[in-house]
Amino acid sequence: MNMDYSGHYVLLSLVMFAIGATGFVVRRNAIVAFMCLELMLNAANIAFVALSRRVGNLDGEIVVFFVMVVAAAEAAVGLAIILAMFRNLESTETSEASQLRL
Amino acid sequence: MNAVIGIFIKGFIVQQVTLGLASFCTWVERKGSALIQDRVGANRAGTNLVVGDLLKTNNLFLKPFSLAIRLLVLAPVFAVIRFLGSIGVINTLLNDALKALLKEDFVPAGTNVFLHALGPFMAVFPVFLAFAVIPLAPDAVIFGVPIRFQVAEISTGVLFLLAMGSIAVYGVVLAGWTGNNKFSLMGALRAAAQMISYELAMGIAFATIVLHFSTFDLYQIIDAQGGSLFNWGVWFMFPTGFIAFIILFIVGMAETKRGPFDLPESESELVAGYFTEYSGMKFLLFWLGEFAEIALFSIVLTTFFFGGWHVPFVTLPEGAWWAALIGHGVFMGKVLFFCVLQITIRWTLPRFRYDQLMNIGWKMLLPLSIINLLAAAVFKLLS
Amino acid sequence: MSIVVVCLGALLIGSALGVVLSKNPIHSALFLVANLVGVACVFGALGAHFLAMVQIIVYAGAIMVLVIFVLMLLNAKSEQRTLGTYFQLIGAGVASLIFIGVVGQEVLVQWPVQVGPAEALVGSVEAVGQLLYTEYLLPFEAAGVLLMAALVGAAMLAKTNYGKGGR
Repeated sequence: MNMDYSGHYVLLSLVMFAIGATGFVVRRNAIVAFMCLELMLNAANIAFVALSRRVGNLDGEIVVFFVMVVAAAEAAVGLAIILAMFRNLESTETSEASQLRL
Repeated sequence: MNAVIGIFIKGFIVQQVTLGLASFCTWVERKGSALIQDRVGANRAGTNLVVGDLLKTNNLFLKPFSLAIRLLVLAPVFAVIRFLGSIGVINTLLNDALKALLKEDFVPAGTNVFLHALGPFMAVFPVFLAFAVIPLAPDAVIFGVPIRFQVAEISTGVLFLLAMGSIAVYGVVLAGWTGNNKFSLMGALRAAAQMISYELAMGIAFATIVLHFSTFDLYQIIDAQGGSLFNWGVWFMFPTGFIAFIILFIVGMAETKRGPFDLPESESELVAGYFTEYSGMKFLLFWLGEFAEIALFSIVLTTFFFGGWHVPFVTLPEGAWWAALIGHGVFMGKVLFFCVLQITIRWTLPRFRYDQLMNIGWKMLLPLSIINLLAAAVFKLLS
Repeated sequence: MSIVVVCLGALLIGSALGVVLSKNPIHSALFLVANLVGVACVFGALGAHFLAMVQIIVYAGAIMVLVIFVLMLLNAKSEQRTLGTYFQLIGAGVASLIFIGVVGQEVLVQWPVQVGPAEALVGSVEAVGQLLYTEYLLPFEAAGVLLMAALVGAAMLAKTNYGKGGR
């Protein structure tokens, strides 16, 4: 007899999302904040797949596929922005990027 | 529970096969490179091992036993060891390993010891893990139990190989960064960029193969190449199969950073590249991982293009244990052929410059593999 | 409670805490790699085999390599104090607990963990591919355009001679 553990995985994804959100708010290094953002996206992915299994069709998994695509695009552009920011400000602390003009 | 025990046993056996293949490739590298470069190579260790006075006794009662053992056991064994030593096996497999194990293991100042030790692990681990999805012999029924000689019978075997190729980049990057000097870091960044660039062409070449066989399962792919010689992967939808084979061969040499693509470890330019700061067993682990990866790519080429364990003009009965043995032998023969081919190419061709390397990856192989995929799709649609 | 769920839960939560609490950013990156591999294992346990492989290939094998490259190029230093001010920490902690409590109760009350046969739903490559190319074809092509836009944008942003009529 197989048990359905989707509820457990959704709870796991909630805790991971909360940890990611907390990290995103309190960390000052821009790249670590970006990594906490990836944590949040992955938590949402886990929830999608678990609920797709519970509901019974594969639409959730398609959504996860597109979330991964968007996350990859966002990673490329976000890290390029961080690189450009570092080149001008010489630091990756988010509190340093406080002015619209350089 | 039975399945789990079976997986453990199969995994252990496959690991021994992997280590055996990697050690064989190490020996072929030492002796083969010597023959290619017109020198003798390693032939001293173990050649002066004689029976002599070993186990000689003057006791009258023990004399026959001592004579029997010396004549029938020690003499042949020592003769075999002397022969192996004269072709360099003892030197490569025993002496080098002992030397590496007993060397001092140092960590450069100012780096994290754990990350420094994690480098070789991350470089070797994906390669060994990729052997889990490879079927080494046809199915056999032994004592009434059907056995599949594949550790993990997943249905997405090809994607798993691609995933392991992606993870292998971490070992290189970690190794170069924890060396705490600019040379290792430069070597690591170059190596990582090279590996990532060639992964693109590898993925598209894999897509071409999957397009033809319509399955991701490696066992089904080998199974579909049975029958006649013209079912082999290299002939399908000619010439797309052949071009995919050439692309995968070149990509394999570039991913393992071997052959003409070994700029990251070029001794004359970057000290030793990304594993400058490693000595002893960690260095040997990198080396072993590299040869295991050569064996892995040879196995991939054999699986996809050359029929795996199918013997060319013979159809073996299914399920017989001796058919599995013969199939495994043929498989290993083809794999060893490709290993020796890769090693020969490495010692024959000069290495590419870095911009030439990147040009080949991005401007030659990637468009070629995409056109190949399109052509294969058109062929498949028309047939 | 299955041992797989417990182990995966420990791996995911432990590595997530490692990402947030590490002083050295490269340690955070490596913890995140472990987390992503854990997520791939969760996908495998839930039957989404194709997504598990794509997760390793895309996230753990490409995105995190990019992040580690950037960290090494920028030579990111360790922070002295990672957790911000106490006010931020307490605020974030309370918000998280409220979030988990409210949403968790919603989810787990409406769909309690039941003992029943698991769905025979396997997210194999064939099934996902079938959906992707028939029903979701337009989002698929749009994703391709999005990736190309991201590629061009990232290449332009990271260019060195930017501003003085660069190449």
